[in-house]
Amino acid sequence: MEQPRRITDSFPRRLRRRGPGRPPGRLKDKKDKKDKKDKDQDKVQAKVRDCSCSPSQPSPDPALLEMLRRFDLSWEYGPCSGITRLQRWERAQELGLSPPGPIRDALLEHRDNP
Amino acid sequence: MSHAMFSEQAAPTAQGLLAPPSAEPPTFPRVPVSGYSDCSQPFQLGERSFSRQYAHIYAVRLAGMRPGLERCARKQWGNDIALRKLSELQAGEKCCVVGTLFKAMQLQPSILQEISEEHNLVPQPPLPKYIQPSDELMLEDELQRIKLEGAIDVQKLVTGTIVAVYGSEQDDGRFLVEDHCFADLPPPLPWNGPSSDRFVLLASGLGLGSVSGEALLSTQLLVDVVTGQLGAEGEQSCAAHITRVILAGNLLSQNTQSRDTINKAKYLTKKTQAASVEAVKMLDEILLQLCTSVPVDVMPGEFDPTNYTLPQQPLHRCMLPLASTYTTLHLVTNPYQANLDGVRFLGTSGQNISDIFKYSSMDDYLEILEWTLRAGHISPTAPDTLGCYPFYKSDPFILTECPHVYFCGNAPHFQSKLLQGKEGQRVLLVTVPDFSATQTACLINLRDLTCQPITFSGFGADSEDRDIEVGH
Repeated sequence: MEQPRRITDSFPRRLRRRGPGRPPGRLKDKKDKKDKKDKDQDKVQAKVRDCSCSPSQPSPDPALLEMLRRFDLSWEYGPCSGITRLQRWERAQELGLSPPGPIRDALLEHRDNP
Repeated sequence: MSHAMFSEQAAPTAQGLLAPPSAEPPTFPRVPVSGYSDCSQPFQLGERSFSRQYAHIYAVRLAGMRPGLERCARKQWGNDIALRKLSELQAGEKCCVVGTLFKAMQLQPSILQEISEEHNLVPQPPLPKYIQPSDELMLEDELQRIKLEGAIDVQKLVTGTIVAVYGSEQDDGRFLVEDHCFADLPPPLPWNGPSSDRFVLLASGLGLGSVSGEALLSTQLLVDVVTGQLGAEGEQSCAAHITRVILAGNLLSQNTQSRDTINKAKYLTKKTQAASVEAVKMLDEILLQLCTSVPVDVMPGEFDPTNYTLPQQPLHRCMLPLASTYTTLHLVTNPYQANLDGVRFLGTSGQNISDIFKYSSMDDYLEILEWTLRAGHISPTAPDTLGCYPFYKSDPFILTECPHVYFCGNAPHFQSKLLQGKEGQRVLLVTVPDFSATQTACLINLRDLTCQPITFSGFGADSEDRDIEVGH
């Protein structure tokens, strides 16, 4: 039997673990938020309703993250906000700017993790 | 070589109206439609996400037009000129830079100024033109911007144009322009036009639903001419050569846009209907008459019930229940592009041209139309001053191929010009006048790309008069 649910259960509980420099909701940072949510869920199991997020994955290779971050910030491929990395890569490809291939492979490998 | 004008064919041949009806009423089959293909897929929006910023569309515009502009720059100033980005500029070095123009205008309506509480300013009333002598031009590329001065007409140009400037950077940080060039006419399309006379009727600004009903008579006359119910046999046989009718926007009048009902309390407005409901019913009846006889393309305009941002999506079929049962009715986007009998048409309902008119010193709609063709972009002021969908992948307003007929609707007068390009492009530029004001529509002959206006005038309720003017 489920416990009696409250309206506030629809919002995932977040303890005061929010870091001071929490980045604005950019798509590339969704992964970081998900990691935090997982940790919170471990602590407040009973009261928090199951979010639709996937169970905690092994955190990706920091070198890979660094490469992706560099791809985001490189100005040649245009603005990075508001579109997924894969969309940005495809757009750069169509405009003939020859974005690096390994980025695309990495993005397709972790398809569920933008 | 005689090109048969519509009126010349009509007038002398057959017996006039002052003759007894012939025993066998003749029938004039309309010229069959051959070769129509709609090319406006880039203007049709699939999924719409407005959570993106407009930086993408500018970035894509610059990246997409840069190769063409570099080619034009090399052609104009020599193959060995230095093409630099703004970050690579050195003072005093003559080089060429490709970038987006931005015009800083004092009078440009700014939402930030309006909501600024410190100033307590009344919002600025709409002006016909927002240009001022103190406006400044800046050139922006992907990373930096620089102020431009010199041989460049600040008043004429508008924000959002991609341009290549040739000059050098001064010590005070400004760029002294010696010469500049635009993308110029896009590459030509092969010509597959018909060998016999085929006419297309272009009209815009029907303005239904307005307070005065004067234009209704002219509209009915227009429909009657096209469906062959007016005139003697000569005129009817000519009308049979009209293969298509394109209505370029503003089918509804500006009066249907009254916002009083929004501000009043709900209990006062419960029984009132929006003015556009009645107007759309009238439109449906008019389109029904037209569609029974000729294919019609209906483009939405500024005052029509569709979305506001460019590209405007087609009107919905459910608004026109009577006419949409006919397959001859095509509800299309604004801007609209199609191949009619091998002739490529491209045109808008006029919002792009009138927006440029407001922010530029150019006064003539035909001049602005030609300038947009030479600048390689249908609407450079979008999204700055004209609403635009936030594209991110590609800018569909960039002109990649040169159309054969390039038109804009809702212009103040009828004007047309045949432009010849250096690479063999032949473009007929047409500014279609506002029908509710001028009662004039345009007839384009596809065989030789000539255009003439056709005016319908009625004097009051007693007499019906119609005269076809030959204008060129």
